Amino acid sequence: MADRVTGPIDPQSGAEPPPTSWLDERTGSRGIYEAIFLRNIPKVNWLFTLGSATLFVVVNQFITGILLTVYYVPSVQDAYDTVTYIDSSLPLGWLVRGLHHWGSTALVVLVILHMLRIIFHGAYKYPREVTWLTGVVLLLLTFAFGFTGYLLPWDQKAYWATTVGTRILEVVPFFGDWLLRVARGGEELSAVTLSRFFGIHVWILPALMLLFVAVHLFLVVRIGISAPPKKGD
Amino acid sequence: MSDPVSRRKFLSRATLAIGGVILVGWAIPAVAYIFGPARAGERLREWRPLGSPAKVDVGTPTLFKTQIERTSGWVTQEEEVSLYVFTEDGQNFTGLSNICTHLGCRVRWVGDEERFFCPCHNATFAKDGRVTSGPPPRPLDTFDVKVEDGQLFVNVEV
Repeated sequence: MADRVTGPIDPQSGAEPPPTSWLDERTGSRGIYEAIFLRNIPKVNWLFTLGSATLFVVVNQFITGILLTVYYVPSVQDAYDTVTYIDSSLPLGWLVRGLHHWGSTALVVLVILHMLRIIFHGAYKYPREVTWLTGVVLLLLTFAFGFTGYLLPWDQKAYWATTVGTRILEVVPFFGDWLLRVARGGEELSAVTLSRFFGIHVWILPALMLLFVAVHLFLVVRIGISAPPKKGD
Repeated sequence: MSDPVSRRKFLSRATLAIGGVILVGWAIPAVAYIFGPARAGERLREWRPLGSPAKVDVGTPTLFKTQIERTSGWVTQEEEVSLYVFTEDGQNFTGLSNICTHLGCRVRWVGDEERFFCPCHNATFAKDGRVTSGPPPRPLDTFDVKVEDGQLFVNVEV
């Protein structure tokens, strides 16, 4: 980057500084931009966009999820009614919820395709093991998001899916009963379960997601991505 | 343009343009969704019976109450509408809102002083709703009231 302008403007050259130089001089923003968007990458194909596609859907889930909490109320009296209200009374509410609903399915699909690409290319190997491990955590977080979010509409499907889903924990030897009570917040699915799932879905999981996405992306940018393996690799 | 747009420049511009379209795609539903409930919906009006007109003391505003069902968002609940009904001659009735036109506190009729009094900022209104002192910008709102088949009716938003 020979034409890069950084630091105090040279009074000798009469060149007009770019409008972003003010910010760059004080924050180093140009360097950050270059590190992220102008980094060198090997010759790759479209499969390498699966991670970015995943990130895009994650951003969509954050935006639409925040919007849903504006009207959604996680109580057994209100949950179903507020979801119905969002779907049928609010302008474009059906679109906001639809984006969140279908986005969650798309996210699971994309995360798995992204993971398969990494496995088949062997891209998890040295020196990218930590990137891979944070990716595994992100995969589990995605599943946890899906599982907790599924209960929130509090309709028949949600209720029975969670009844069955939590019941699986019971087969764990020795601790099964206890794990089941932890998941449900009691013996049965109840207002406590709904409230807990909501808190986990909108506070705990997003916080962890942000943290791990940040580390994951930092490592991708810092280490760089691996080229597709060649014959004999 | 003298120099042709390079491949790199074209791609970065195209990326920005598509990104902008996606951003607008999020922004439009977000705005509609958040500002939607602020739309002034059309309210239906209905005549509600208040009882016998004989209950109104001639020359003194008398308080009446009626229940309406009101839906806000996903909650439907009973709400009470109160109004003062006033007549000079027992024939012509006026309905006066008991909501102060200043900031919405409830006014009450003070018989001794022959006036409505709002406790929030000491505003007073005359029998017919005119402002006699204090900050309210306009007289008390009125309700349409009628007598039909010996019953008193009020026209309310439901």
